[in-house]
Amino acid sequence: MKRVLIVDDAAFMRMAIKNILQKNNFEVVGEAENGLVGVKKYLELQPDLVTMDITMPEMTGLDALKQIRKLDSNANVVMVSAMGQESMVKDSIINGAKSFIVKPFKEDHVLQTLNKVLGL
Amino acid sequence: MPVTYENESMLEIYIFEASQSLDQMEQIIMKSEREGTFGEEAVNEIFRFMHTIKGSSAMMMFHNITTIAHTMEDIFFFLREKRPQILDYSTLSDLVLDGVDFMKVEVNKIKNHDAPDGNPEDLVMRLKAYLDEILTTVNTGEDKAAEPETVSEKDSVCESEGLEVQPSAAVLDSGGEGAPEPPLKPRKDSKKKKSVQSYKAKLYFQDGCEMEHLRAYGVVHDLTELAEEMFYCPQNILEEDGTAETIRNQGFELFIRTTATMEELQARIEKTVFLEQLILGHADQPEFEPHCMHQDDIHWIPAVTEKEARENAASGNSVSDTQLPLNGNSVSDTQLQSAVKEQPAGSQSMISVNVEKLDGLMNLVGELVIAEAMVTQNPEVLALESDQFQKASRQLHKITTDLQDMVMSIRMVPLSTTFIKMHRIVRDMSKKLNKQVVLDMAGEETEVDKNIIERISDPLMHLIRNAIDHGIEDEAERLEKGKDKIGRISLEAKNAGSDVLIILRDDGRGLSKEKILAKARANGLLTKPEHEMSDREIYNLILLPGFSTKEQVTEFSGRGVGMDVVAKNLEEVGGAVHIESAYGQGTTMTLKIPLTLAIIEGMNIRVGSSRFTIPITSIKESFKPAAKDCHKDPDHNEMVMVRGKSYPILRMHQHFHIEKTETVLADGILIMVEDEDKEICLFADELLGQQQVVVKALPHYIKSMKKILGLAGCTLLGDGSISLILDVSGLAGLRVR
Amino acid sequence: MAKAITEMELEEDTQKGKYLTFNLGSESYGIGIEYVIEIIGLLPITVVPELPVYIKGIMNLRGRIIPVMDMRLRFRKEFVDYDERTCIIVVEIGENSVGLIVDRVSEVTNIADEDIVDQPMLSSGTSNRYIKSIGKVGGEVKMLLDCDALLSHHESELISTIG
Repeated sequence: MKRVLIVDDAAFMRMAIKNILQKNNFEVVGEAENGLVGVKKYLELQPDLVTMDITMPEMTGLDALKQIRKLDSNANVVMVSAMGQESMVKDSIINGAKSFIVKPFKEDHVLQTLNKVLGL
Repeated sequence: MPVTYENESMLEIYIFEASQSLDQMEQIIMKSEREGTFGEEAVNEIFRFMHTIKGSSAMMMFHNITTIAHTMEDIFFFLREKRPQILDYSTLSDLVLDGVDFMKVEVNKIKNHDAPDGNPEDLVMRLKAYLDEILTTVNTGEDKAAEPETVSEKDSVCESEGLEVQPSAAVLDSGGEGAPEPPLKPRKDSKKKKSVQSYKAKLYFQDGCEMEHLRAYGVVHDLTELAEEMFYCPQNILEEDGTAETIRNQGFELFIRTTATMEELQARIEKTVFLEQLILGHADQPEFEPHCMHQDDIHWIPAVTEKEARENAASGNSVSDTQLPLNGNSVSDTQLQSAVKEQPAGSQSMISVNVEKLDGLMNLVGELVIAEAMVTQNPEVLALESDQFQKASRQLHKITTDLQDMVMSIRMVPLSTTFIKMHRIVRDMSKKLNKQVVLDMAGEETEVDKNIIERISDPLMHLIRNAIDHGIEDEAERLEKGKDKIGRISLEAKNAGSDVLIILRDDGRGLSKEKILAKARANGLLTKPEHEMSDREIYNLILLPGFSTKEQVTEFSGRGVGMDVVAKNLEEVGGAVHIESAYGQGTTMTLKIPLTLAIIEGMNIRVGSSRFTIPITSIKESFKPAAKDCHKDPDHNEMVMVRGKSYPILRMHQHFHIEKTETVLADGILIMVEDEDKEICLFADELLGQQQVVVKALPHYIKSMKKILGLAGCTLLGDGSISLILDVSGLAGLRVR
Repeated sequence: MAKAITEMELEEDTQKGKYLTFNLGSESYGIGIEYVIEIIGLLPITVVPELPVYIKGIMNLRGRIIPVMDMRLRFRKEFVDYDERTCIIVVEIGENSVGLIVDRVSEVTNIADEDIVDQPMLSSGTSNRYIKSIGKVGGEVKMLLDCDALLSHHESELISTIG
């Protein structure tokens, strides 16, 4: 089972993603409510994939992405963005995000994205 | 429209988060307004709150809330980016608070399982108008950024030239297996020198995957490191408008010169998420020459690789606020710790627990207390007279008591959340009535049972509205009286024995006894000769239903939320309202509420075969009466003399219609109980002993029938029997007129 | 203390048309099985004052406080002392849980829709108020209860407090 770390400052979003993942044979190994904690947990947990919200306090998703990619050049990070955040998504892609999910997201979109990124 | 939810827990967390965000936003807005400035942090926080609410509301399909949140997010996005000079904070605050109110109302509907069907149109219009207004004040004189409206030109260029896909070119579906192009096999044997080949790819994305232009960009970015040369159409895929749609309708074209093989390229591109179709072929054939674009449109790779991005960052081009050390792989621990510790304002390290679970826990602990008593007080066990057992059972009792205390304390919630809501009321009312009023608070850390907190919020709000509406005079009158032009209201909470007192003081005009009596007289509410009434009794007249006449109904007070409702609400939780006033100087309202509904220290008594429990706090003393001290008053009410004073007697067996009891006063026992300033003596058969009891409410069915005067609830005794808990104020009211 | 005699397992789909029948004297009644939580023997009942005479009081059912209604008195029949066969049917109607004291509990039986007729209008008798319809089972007539009406009450039934 692939192990996933969810990073988002909204508990609601974390739960929404977690629900989808757990129903579909992913293991949610951790959650973080801001980018800084996200980076820390990435080091601790070494997940197979990270879902990263773009807008967060303390450290944005983009910055956390950069840090994680620096620490692990194979890291699979999928950004979670809202409509209208194109430039940040672009920056994320430049900085190594493997793909992105757009809110409000549908279950099959999330699954397709994660499966594709993980090569499943 | 009926609303059903797959997942109740998603709904719960949505409501919780949304409510919390809205409350916090409200506080930030009011604070900013008070300080006269919307600082950077405030703007950021509000933006984030709106962004979050927008996101989750969209997921839950609450479109009205999403719309408002979105519009407000736009405003604060603009404020964040452009930092315009806002001269009119008041208008902005009002607008934003209106937005907050709208969303709160909708969330409440959702909480009550109703449809959130509020109409946001008006509010959206006002918000957009405001945004337009501040946009224009900023944009006058500024060059508007060039909008990418020229993409369509290029679209048509692509389309008119068209792509001629040769039948010999391979058509590869994103999951399928296609035959690669036969000619030009890669020279596998040569590692030193790989020939560069030209390929052309056309990509189509799945319907509805959104942000196709960014997905296309992702492909470009991914292929950059393979490419000697690359260009693509449509260009400018990173500008928002148009390109996504172009790619959606016409696909994304890519031309690449690379040493990679077709298979390698294909594999690489196929990793793209939401790829619907990939057409990949060699570009050596003349037909594949890039003639879909004009020469000067050929756009060589601008893509920045990740490596370059990192270099940019290193050279200080990064815009990140938080700089983490670039040396080595370790992220600074102190920085991590500080991030984890410093949480957004208003949130603490708490978890939210369903109140039903807490109630369940409370019940269980109550039953544990009973069960423990049944074991440790079992006569057969006691007869064993074992020291070991005694020791063990004392230990057990201690643990059970501690457990009970702990569970009780979990249900206790500080009054601060309730008090903070009052600021909003004061703000709104003082604005609308044009009175300057300041609210002071003290003791808000005082804790009260969660059940109770919810019941006093409304009464408190009403009292504060009253104080500002009727109590505090307007500026002119105040100055005339020699008072400060700013009215003061103070809200204080403190513990007093087993109760909590919430004291609301205002320095307004105070209550006029004459006016109150006159009104009571007019409404036929007087039950006692006026000159016999104490000040307290006169003030308490305003708590009677029917006291408030229509003239009293202003926009804020009256209208069904009269003082009588306040009094009733408090009674229902076993509390009371005290009123004191000094005419011309101010009024003090004291709300007395029990610390907790859940557990009380009670004295068990027996009347016939029935059991009752009296809250210890109500008991003054108990004694066996002497026949000579008992007598009847002129109205044939039984009385008893105690230390020179006469007290009315209430025979429990008569009141509760119980048979086979003691009827001779001297053979039973009298328990003197008091409620406020009324004291009566209850006549029962015997005292059974004192214990802590877990209060259980009477069954809903019975409560729905009528309120039984004199009963506050019931409890289970050690032997499983039910004891009815007496409500002393109800009983006292019967005897004392 | 009396023990629970039976506890029914109820399934949503199979509840329609099933009734628990009980007797008050010679008359037979039925109550939709979807309302029935359990059937128990008599438990000690604590009297609660000022309630209608047919509410005998409250009982402690494994920690829950449940009001108890005497069905004979509810239907204004003659009160009969309880014996060892008297049962309490614990029902849940809306948000209310109530225990119904009955002489005898009979069985759970299916009554097909075609065997149910609306009760004929009788000239008087308040017992009608609580009967929704009449069902026929094996030649016997069962009066089927209207549970919502059962729990409703009129102001006149409530004893008012006098000081």
